[in-house]
Amino acid sequence: MSQAALRSIIGAALLVAFVLLPFAGLSDYWTYTVTIGFYYALLAASWSLLVGYVGRISFAQAAMSGLGGYASALGVLEFGLPIGLGLVFAALIAGLVGYVLGWLTLRLHGAYLGLTTIAFGEILRISVTAEHWLTEGSLGLQVPPLIPGGSRLEYYYIFLAITVGCLAAMGLLLRSRIGLFFQSIREDEDGAASLGVAVTTWKCVAFAISSAFAGLAGGLYAHFVQLIAPSMMSLQEMGVILAMAVIGGFHNILYAALGGMLLQVLLEALREVEQWRLVVFGLVTILVLRFAPNGLFGMLSNIFVRRRNSDG
Amino acid sequence: MAEQLVVDRLTKTFGGIVALNGVELAFSAGELIGLIGPNGSGKTTLLNIVSGYYTADRGQITYENQPIAGTSPHKLARIGIGRSFQVTKVFRRLTVMENMLVSGLSDWSETRSQASERATAILEDLKLTRLRDERASNLSGGQLKLLEFARIMMLQPKLLLLDEPFGGVHPELKRFMYDCIRKWNAAGITIILISHDMGSIFELCRRVVTLSYGDIICDGTPEETRADKGVLEAYLGEHHASA
Repeated sequence: MSQAALRSIIGAALLVAFVLLPFAGLSDYWTYTVTIGFYYALLAASWSLLVGYVGRISFAQAAMSGLGGYASALGVLEFGLPIGLGLVFAALIAGLVGYVLGWLTLRLHGAYLGLTTIAFGEILRISVTAEHWLTEGSLGLQVPPLIPGGSRLEYYYIFLAITVGCLAAMGLLLRSRIGLFFQSIREDEDGAASLGVAVTTWKCVAFAISSAFAGLAGGLYAHFVQLIAPSMMSLQEMGVILAMAVIGGFHNILYAALGGMLLQVLLEALREVEQWRLVVFGLVTILVLRFAPNGLFGMLSNIFVRRRNSDG
Repeated sequence: MAEQLVVDRLTKTFGGIVALNGVELAFSAGELIGLIGPNGSGKTTLLNIVSGYYTADRGQITYENQPIAGTSPHKLARIGIGRSFQVTKVFRRLTVMENMLVSGLSDWSETRSQASERATAILEDLKLTRLRDERASNLSGGQLKLLEFARIMMLQPKLLLLDEPFGGVHPELKRFMYDCIRKWNAAGITIILISHDMGSIFELCRRVVTLSYGDIICDGTPEETRADKGVLEAYLGEHHASA
């Protein structure tokens, strides 16, 4: 069985499992936790799209999510947009800012690129904190709910549907010619250009698309938790997203998304050990990078395919 | 024959080093030209400027009567200027077929099935069909060179710039590459070939341009180049050349 076939089967099985999960006696608290898990799954997948497929590192993903959260909230509060349009606005603003970040960092690689995206993310976070008159700064901004009076279960299914929809859209994009261009840029920019790929354009577009998904995730999160603060754009939050994608497997959007869900659930399950859980996740991230660079799910998939092939 | 590529007073310096010193050349459509010279003579710099990777300090380049200096590499690829690199730039984590499709699908007017069909035919020509679903990282050095050839042919180039295509290649494979180059040239593709392998240059090319320290020191037939004192001096040094 090929990796692609295996991924399709796993994807379908996971979808069924998540659809049925609330019927398996999931408490209100855990329904809430898994709903937040969908947010992180989307964020981790959006990061993996940029880093795993285009080879462009960014530490501004949390900031893009926060930007989307504030864009949607302010769009609704200040301009009276319906929440659906607010979410579209969030994705557009984050996508536009992502495009600018992509353009600013076109010629940068490695540490220089990473440091620039950190600086960019911090500029966004500090701007949101400083503009107290608009964003309420560190006090946090009250955000209207996605579904007035909606139950946890309704939110669960909306988040599940949007996450699945976004992952499917990312998958289609990556299977298209654009996905091939992205991967060719990751492999060798000069080589890609020599074959007619507009490297400059596609690098910017990749930043824009990845940021737009992060912005949409941030908008959803804002209208779910109904209170957002600049802390959602912090470097610590970025570290969590990075750990999720790396532990899941950042070379594959599905594995990265599963990493997001897995760590969110574990973060809640290990709440009793307080900050030590973050230390544990840091260690696990290092170990995964060292011994399973394809992530836990990538490693499991490789083992499964090898066994199937040797049996067959 | 019409002049397809004209390089006019091209100058390029890196710090204090003059890589190209007002180079003037004209290449006719359908020519097969060897570009030789000692290390650091400016051969690859010239190729990098013509293919858009470097910008010249001064001078003009005209391709099919259009000025192309400063045009980005991907646009030059799309108007028919294909190139290979000294070190192959094959996408190692992609399969052979995916490598081919990147090249084909960069032309938005081509559908995936059209590109696949063309890719299949080119892979067949280059004896790579059985490797079509193999990851490029599993290919040998010679197969990587062939894949690079194959990807360039997907661009349907009119001008081909080949930078050291025979480096580290088995003699048998080299003969096969000669055949490919001759066949493409016979089909009307202009080819500029850089190689340190003089045997290959003299066997394949009817015209040989020799560069030394950024200047053209000889432009003639293989026989003229072999007999040129300046060329011998550039390669062997003044003392050995006169001995």
